[in-house]
Amino acid sequence: MTATSSVGAPLQRADAYAKVAGSLRYAVDFELPGMAQAAVLRSPHPHARIVRIDAESARRLPGVLAVLTGADPAARSRYGWYIKDQPILADRVARYAGDMVAAVAAVDSATAMAALELIDVVYEPLPPLIDLDSALRPDAPAIFEEPPRGKAPDYGRGASGWVHPEKNVCYRFRYTTGDSAVFGACDHVFEDTFTFSAMQHYHLEPFVTVASVADGLIEVWSSNQNPFALRRELARLFDRDEERVRVHVPPVGGAFGAKNLCKAEPVAILLAMATGRPVRFCMTAAESFLTQRQHSARLRLRTGVMADGTLIARRCEVLLDAGAYADASPLVSEKAAYRAPGPYRWQHVDTVASCVLTTTTPAGPFRGFGAPQASWASESQLDMIARRLDIDPYQLRVKNLRELGEPYMPGDSALDSDLRSGLDTVADALGYHDPRRRAELRRAGRGLGLAVGFKDSGGGRKPASARVSVSGDGQVTLRCGTVELGQGAHTALRQVVAQILAVPFGDVRFAPVDTTSVPYDQGTYASSSSAVMGRAVAEATENVRGQVREVITQRGGNPSGAEDEGLRPGWRRLVSGHEFEGSGHFEVASDVNAPLGEKCLFWEPGWGGAEVEVDRETGRVRLRHLVVCGDAGRMINPQLCHGQEQGSAVMGMAQAIVERFGYSDGALATRDPLTYRVATFGDLPDEFRCIVQEQGHGPGPFGAKGYGEGGMLVVAAAVANAVHDAVGARVTDLPLTPERVLDALAKAESEPAEDSG
Amino acid sequence: MNDARVPVSIDLNGATVTDTVPAHQVLADYLRSRGIASVRVSCDQGVCGACTVLVDGVPAASCATFVFQVDDRAVRTLEGLAGGDDLHPVQQAFVDRFAFQCGYCTPGMVLTAVALLEQEPEPSPERVSQWMSGNVCRCTGYAPIVDAVLDAASRQQDSGGRS
Repeated sequence: MTATSSVGAPLQRADAYAKVAGSLRYAVDFELPGMAQAAVLRSPHPHARIVRIDAESARRLPGVLAVLTGADPAARSRYGWYIKDQPILADRVARYAGDMVAAVAAVDSATAMAALELIDVVYEPLPPLIDLDSALRPDAPAIFEEPPRGKAPDYGRGASGWVHPEKNVCYRFRYTTGDSAVFGACDHVFEDTFTFSAMQHYHLEPFVTVASVADGLIEVWSSNQNPFALRRELARLFDRDEERVRVHVPPVGGAFGAKNLCKAEPVAILLAMATGRPVRFCMTAAESFLTQRQHSARLRLRTGVMADGTLIARRCEVLLDAGAYADASPLVSEKAAYRAPGPYRWQHVDTVASCVLTTTTPAGPFRGFGAPQASWASESQLDMIARRLDIDPYQLRVKNLRELGEPYMPGDSALDSDLRSGLDTVADALGYHDPRRRAELRRAGRGLGLAVGFKDSGGGRKPASARVSVSGDGQVTLRCGTVELGQGAHTALRQVVAQILAVPFGDVRFAPVDTTSVPYDQGTYASSSSAVMGRAVAEATENVRGQVREVITQRGGNPSGAEDEGLRPGWRRLVSGHEFEGSGHFEVASDVNAPLGEKCLFWEPGWGGAEVEVDRETGRVRLRHLVVCGDAGRMINPQLCHGQEQGSAVMGMAQAIVERFGYSDGALATRDPLTYRVATFGDLPDEFRCIVQEQGHGPGPFGAKGYGEGGMLVVAAAVANAVHDAVGARVTDLPLTPERVLDALAKAESEPAEDSG
Repeated sequence: MNDARVPVSIDLNGATVTDTVPAHQVLADYLRSRGIASVRVSCDQGVCGACTVLVDGVPAASCATFVFQVDDRAVRTLEGLAGGDDLHPVQQAFVDRFAFQCGYCTPGMVLTAVALLEQEPEPSPERVSQWMSGNVCRCTGYAPIVDAVLDAASRQQDSGGRS
């Protein structure tokens, strides 16, 4: 590989050898001398007053070093994103089955777990609120007797947020533009309701933290996506300056959004303080199901259209099941609402999303972040509307899709992808426009469905900084807070450095992520690493390049490579002994005219096409062909982009057909890997294609966009649309189980005159 | 806590290990305590495949296997796959095909694939999927792993079936 061709090359991952040899060290492998092991006792009740906890027998068990409960004042501190409502250990009330009520540190895991058995808790069960409807009933008990403190951020034009607007609703976000009077001018107004199931992230590496507290310094090694946001929250929770908190993040064994802000960290720190020893809190995989999951939702769309298919107005009401604590739900509600109209031209939009508290596992960031929910409803309804108007679903989309260069909403940035191009790619891959093929398919009980997914990406209020240095002996080091979750960010960002400095990729070192030695970054989420951190990295590297050029010139040499701004190969010999360091920073400017307070940095589209075969007798849906497409702007590493596209698409397929996190008779039915049916090798479609476009309009280095969530936005709707195409049955709930398909078939057959869509 | 201990003799990656272990000790924990760092537990219920090791060439969930159950047997982990810094053809294929992302499932995937190819040197894609279906991956979407195993199979065929 030549020095100047890093970007765009499918270079072998920097961590390849360590991962296939099994020698990589994750947080789960981290140990400190004298380290104790933690275990937590969790409420078995979905909702209960904690009357009394007696931990004396547990404390006396040989090998037990500390037992803490919510009675300890330090355990009552609360954390959260906008709303600080989640105590480190539940105090007077347990709000979901799984809420942590006591924590044990012991010399080993077996002793810690044995100690849990000796803790006696007296509960007074309260009425459980397991779903949206029970939580919203007027006579439902309030999950928080006093609304916790929180603050809505400053939004821009048309957007508003409210903290705890009503009982058991911890946040509400609303966006509106245009005049609702236009509904009156529509030829048709269609109202449809959709439900969206929850999945569990199922990252294979569990939530795990090792905490050490010494001389007032809190130090954690954690599997976490937000090292600096975590540092800030821990400093606040434990009342010290941020400089007295140090967060290390080794490579992470999968996250998908779950490992955000505080999870295992506060308990580990509390126990480290109580024992005077380092403490490791490694949750089991089953405990993941009691810690974080995706938002299930109900979405009601009221859409006004003209007879010729012109979209006019949309009102969306989204109810997100947020679980027992706010977590990141307010942020997800912003996006679920804002993305619900989809990338189409509207004269009026009024979209509101409410975070409904239920006595269930807290819901938080999950790949797609509100967009899977929004796209499921929007792209399904578009197909239903098309059929009601006797218009081809493809044509309806093409007629209304916003074009490259049009703002998504008034005041927001312009679309930077040609949406029609991607739609045509997936339609053509399926033979969508071939009438003979369509007729053949229908005869065989098969159908085709399309979907366009769309989200604002790059994050909001998300500053990123990077430092690049060259040592006296020519070692190039990149320092930034981006976490390697598996997505390959540590490889792609090195490629950017290697390209700009004209050095071999293998010569660029990525410093360990440690908040004391890398500059501030808001976190690894929102598909932001290539475009946002990428810009900071590029700036830092260009800075260094400029310094190098200067030194070479001062020494009487010629620094240039192929381009005037470049460096010649072998430049390090010309500056040996000299050290260089450059900084870069990237942050989107705030803008009161932009609905979310900042113009969106880049738009992340997804396009999906599905061919399904439906068995009318069993309702079973067989996914014969799935094609998914996205626009990466410019691929820094094609293999990494393809990997993200495939992973995201299969996760989207799992959402559509295979997986469901849920409760049954008030208890968590899917409570561990044994009982949670996750997507496996056997679930792959017969034919599966992923196409990554490079339309070239990304804001990241070399035209790159972020990537990795698009597949999640399109598969469910594409499959449901294909089922409708195949057998005329419309399923509006996920997953598309055989029972639901049969019900939809029966409904379609019994109501032939009224096209239910 | 049961203090019963059991003597075991295990062929671990080609070297004989003689030890006395608690009767209830699980193989995954034992291997990690002996510095076999590639073995990691995820589900701890024997259903995800992340902790897979080979016992007499057969994939086994080390989280669901007692140490005493492998007495007198040959246990193989990634550490015993290849010599020195060289990669086994399956490992090399995983690298070339980008058949991993976070890497957590990778040790189990590689060993399961090695076992398949040792038994069936020329599996079909369907056979690969079927054999590997006890191993969960959350990152890759599985297709690159199937490609890597098929690649490794054809490379091994080309080099005369050397394992």
